[in-house]
Amino acid sequence: MSPRARWLWLVEGVGSLLPLIAAQAIWWWRDPASPRPVQWWLVAATVVLGTAYLAVMPQWRYRVHRWEVTPEAVYTQTGWFNQERRIAPIVRIQTVDLTRGPVSQLLSLASVRVTTASSAGPLGIHGLDHDLAVSLVEQLTELTVSDSGDAT
Amino acid sequence: MLLVHPVQEAVRFLPALLAVFVTGRSSDRSPWWDVAALIAVVALGVSRWFTTRYRITGGQIELRHGLLNRKLLATPADRLRTVDVTAPIWHRLLGLARVEIGTASGTLSERIVLDALAAPVAHALRAELLHDKEIRAGDAGPGDPEMASVGPVSETVLLQLDPRWVRYAPLTTSGLLTALAVWGFGTQFIGAVTGPIEAAFDQFRAWGVWVTAIVLVVAGTVWVALLAVTAYVLAYWDFRLTRHPGGTLHTSRGLLTTRSTSIEEGRIRGVELARPLLLRWARAAHLSAITTGLRRAEPGGGAGVAPLVPPAPEQVSIEVGVAVLGDPEPLRVALVGHGPAARRRRFVRAILPAIALAGLAGVLEWRFDLPVALTAAGFLPLLTAPLLAADRYAGLGHTLLSRYLITQEGSVYRRRVALQRDGIIGVVVRESYFQRRAGVATVVAATAAGRQGYAVLDAPAHHADRLVVDLIPQASEFRDR
Repeated sequence: MSPRARWLWLVEGVGSLLPLIAAQAIWWWRDPASPRPVQWWLVAATVVLGTAYLAVMPQWRYRVHRWEVTPEAVYTQTGWFNQERRIAPIVRIQTVDLTRGPVSQLLSLASVRVTTASSAGPLGIHGLDHDLAVSLVEQLTELTVSDSGDAT
Repeated sequence: MLLVHPVQEAVRFLPALLAVFVTGRSSDRSPWWDVAALIAVVALGVSRWFTTRYRITGGQIELRHGLLNRKLLATPADRLRTVDVTAPIWHRLLGLARVEIGTASGTLSERIVLDALAAPVAHALRAELLHDKEIRAGDAGPGDPEMASVGPVSETVLLQLDPRWVRYAPLTTSGLLTALAVWGFGTQFIGAVTGPIEAAFDQFRAWGVWVTAIVLVVAGTVWVALLAVTAYVLAYWDFRLTRHPGGTLHTSRGLLTTRSTSIEEGRIRGVELARPLLLRWARAAHLSAITTGLRRAEPGGGAGVAPLVPPAPEQVSIEVGVAVLGDPEPLRVALVGHGPAARRRRFVRAILPAIALAGLAGVLEWRFDLPVALTAAGFLPLLTAPLLAADRYAGLGHTLLSRYLITQEGSVYRRRVALQRDGIIGVVVRESYFQRRAGVATVVAATAAGRQGYAVLDAPAHHADRLVVDLIPQASEFRDR
């Protein structure tokens, strides 16, 4: 994975904390009679836990995520707290997609998604350097085209 | 055939007709408008009858229909895969049936539907089409024209419903769901029955809490049992599972609406033997087939899960499963347990929420003084949790045969899945933080059939690794991670 992927995950983490902060802010301003001590505790808890999460998660994820492509199969390892490993043989691959969200575009990263005939089986490689992702897609396309067969 | 189309058209146009009637009543329009609408509907139905034709000639099945848009559906006869005869209640009353012909591509929109044929004609047509398919599949030798004429189709009956199996109906979950649905529907009319309800409440007060509770429980059980039995009879009446030599399994069932489904054996990737808790106590089970390509959700399973055996004695389900798979081992082989770590996890996962609930009930009782019954209910899970956990561990196991992966899990809904290894197209290994600490992992075999992924839950880590390599030989290159 590209080292810049950590920034991507940091931004995503902030995005997932925002609704929590927004809900607390709304509660604070909308209801002046609500118990202030409770809210102060909540703010403190959010700040402490949120900072810990944002500090730990991207680095942990960066250490865990990996991927590998051979002429026989594709392998990915993802997650941080809960981890997941996925393997798909090349002969079973149906589509290969490349996607870039707005933040990924800023960081010149991309995500590659490999799907199989099973909806439980798609493999995702996130946070790849863009050029590397493009060459990976080409490599996978070549590999899958050279095999024929039903793939179910 | 003539009558059914107008009736179907009338049903389809019912909202529009209702609008016409309602507006006709509120204004001074002459009633001739209503009659005109009815005549238009009937005429539409009749015109459909006049303009629908089907023809089956050597090598082609053609269906031509439409008045303004002419549509021709033609399919070469050797792309034919399944032939189903269905008869909703309107059709049955008039002695009709509907034939649906499925083609190799398997999508619903490409099925050829011949509606409202006379029932004997429909069955003869099905027999002839399947017979032709059988001949083609078997490469019938020197084209014997005598054989090509309609003869009895050589199907083997795998299962026929025994009416005594209705006794298993109350033990399934569908009865409870039906009861809840009816109750939900019925609460809309609560307003109309406040009188009897108040009288009932007075009676309850006279009896006291415990007697009322007992009465309600008994009445509820009887009610659920009645509904479940009705649902079972309606859905599974005269259930027959037959195997056709052309390579398909047919199920037909139903009391008011008779429904038949065809399953190509080439698409079957395994079977699933389900033994929910209550059925297990009665030594019963039901069996489903795991297939690719079934889009319609059948009652008793989602898309891709086709019921083969309704709730029936366990031995019967297993025998049918053996007949369908052609191999007795998958359903009878003993499974390997998952070890002490998995057992610990089952207990922890069952007891912790029970403790939390009991704690919550205790706190609420202390602060807000709940009625005794509610507090007792909060502590109840604490008593049943260990039993549930033990049962869940007993239900956990897997094994790998040369052609099948067998996995089983669960207590309240215990499922034993026999999945063909050829159908496994990917593997996902999940390890949560706690699973990593305990040294277990969940291996999910991804497949294009059925529920798309079947899990081997909480297998010891070295077993999981070996399982992954066994399922996907190409994975052995990734060992050095």
